[in-house]
Amino acid sequence: MAAHMLSFRMAAATLVVLASAFAGLAAHAAETVLVSRELKEKYRRPSETPFPKSNPFDAAKAELGKHLFFDPRLSRTGAISCASCHNPGFDWSDGLPRGVGVTGVPLPRKTPTVLNAAWLTALMWDGRAGSLEQQAALPLTAEHEMGMPLDEMVTRLKGIDGYARLYEAAFPGQEIGIENTLAALATYERTLVSNPAPFDRWIEGDESAISEEAKRGFVVFNEAGRCNKCHSSWRFTDDSFHDIGLASEDIGRGEFAPPTVVIMRHAFKTPSLRDLRFTGPYMHDGSMKTIGEVISHYEDGGKARPSLSPEMKAIKLTKQERDDLIAYLKTIQGQPLETAIPRLP
Amino acid sequence: MIFLRAVWAMCLMALVSGAVHAAEHRVVIHHMELQAIEGVKHVGDVIIFDNQSDMAHNLYITYPDGTVDNLDTQVPGTQRKLTLRQAGPAVVRCWIHPIIKAEFEILPASAAQKP
Repeated sequence: MAAHMLSFRMAAATLVVLASAFAGLAAHAAETVLVSRELKEKYRRPSETPFPKSNPFDAAKAELGKHLFFDPRLSRTGAISCASCHNPGFDWSDGLPRGVGVTGVPLPRKTPTVLNAAWLTALMWDGRAGSLEQQAALPLTAEHEMGMPLDEMVTRLKGIDGYARLYEAAFPGQEIGIENTLAALATYERTLVSNPAPFDRWIEGDESAISEEAKRGFVVFNEAGRCNKCHSSWRFTDDSFHDIGLASEDIGRGEFAPPTVVIMRHAFKTPSLRDLRFTGPYMHDGSMKTIGEVISHYEDGGKARPSLSPEMKAIKLTKQERDDLIAYLKTIQGQPLETAIPRLP
Repeated sequence: MIFLRAVWAMCLMALVSGAVHAAEHRVVIHHMELQAIEGVKHVGDVIIFDNQSDMAHNLYITYPDGTVDNLDTQVPGTQRKLTLRQAGPAVVRCWIHPIIKAEFEILPASAAQKP
């Protein structure tokens, strides 16, 4: 009888264990996030970095550009280099709400990263430069950034022993000039590409590269959160201009559009989310300190005004969705792109 | 009376003739791409931009003299009409999405369209 009871109990216990195992499997299956291949394809990294035909890649040119990028003598005071604001240690930005240049006067906007600049089609927050070559001249000459007239920059570079050799290697037979200096800077900047992130490995097919939480966050990013409306492509930007309803007085791209183009008032370029620094600050004016604050802004839908982007619609996320979204955003951070600072001539 | 009827008929014919020659061209916007603006375009022709993408656009045309006609914000599923008003090379772009760009040639108005 006792033996019979024991085997009955063992059988019952086995059933409970099996039932629990099946329940666990079912729950796990329910949690597995399935994402279409088509959606994933939209975020696949390109295999090559684009260089324009007018300024193709050349190793000596990139090397010269790197020296110029890190050389503070390109600024009026000799104290600020491109790398002062686009600091590799801060993911090629400066970690400040708004940049600070040679005069110490805070600039009107946050310093954007230069990572993945090779793919940009409109540069600066308001898109007033159409290429990296054009863009390079803007901070160099801006009064409160580097404050250096370009002809004076050339004179100064000609007076530094060692640059002649670097220019000769990059541009054989050419003198040090404005155009080749800007071309070298642009070439170097095009070599600054984000390292692959766990998200990229997931896109390539490694299902274990990111957590289920992050996969759910990817779905939130593309659906309930509407983030993909502007933060699209492998760089998580549409390279386009939107008023997202911040309180700032800065009219952004509106400064360059006729007054009848209402939609461009307060419009700024969508920043990339790749290698986002989770220490903030965020937004073009550095006005938000935490990622939670940023998500709340999008939940509220931004300041209602005629220029508010039609893509801005108030959304409602649960705490779980917010957490998933943040978990996802962390998967688009690769290892920092580090570089050895060159010894300047 | 007969004379008046004749004048009225001639006016109608002129109107009909003008309508025939001021052609309409339809250009579809898909995502961030404009369908190619093909075919011969004349001053007075109308281009209808049909936004079949899932995002808002704000197209504008720049004429050879630098003047600009703005088509205002165009949400998905809507159309905007542009009447071409100057001959020469023209470019259509989007204020929101600068990557959108279409260049084409506008010919002078055809004889039938001239007053």
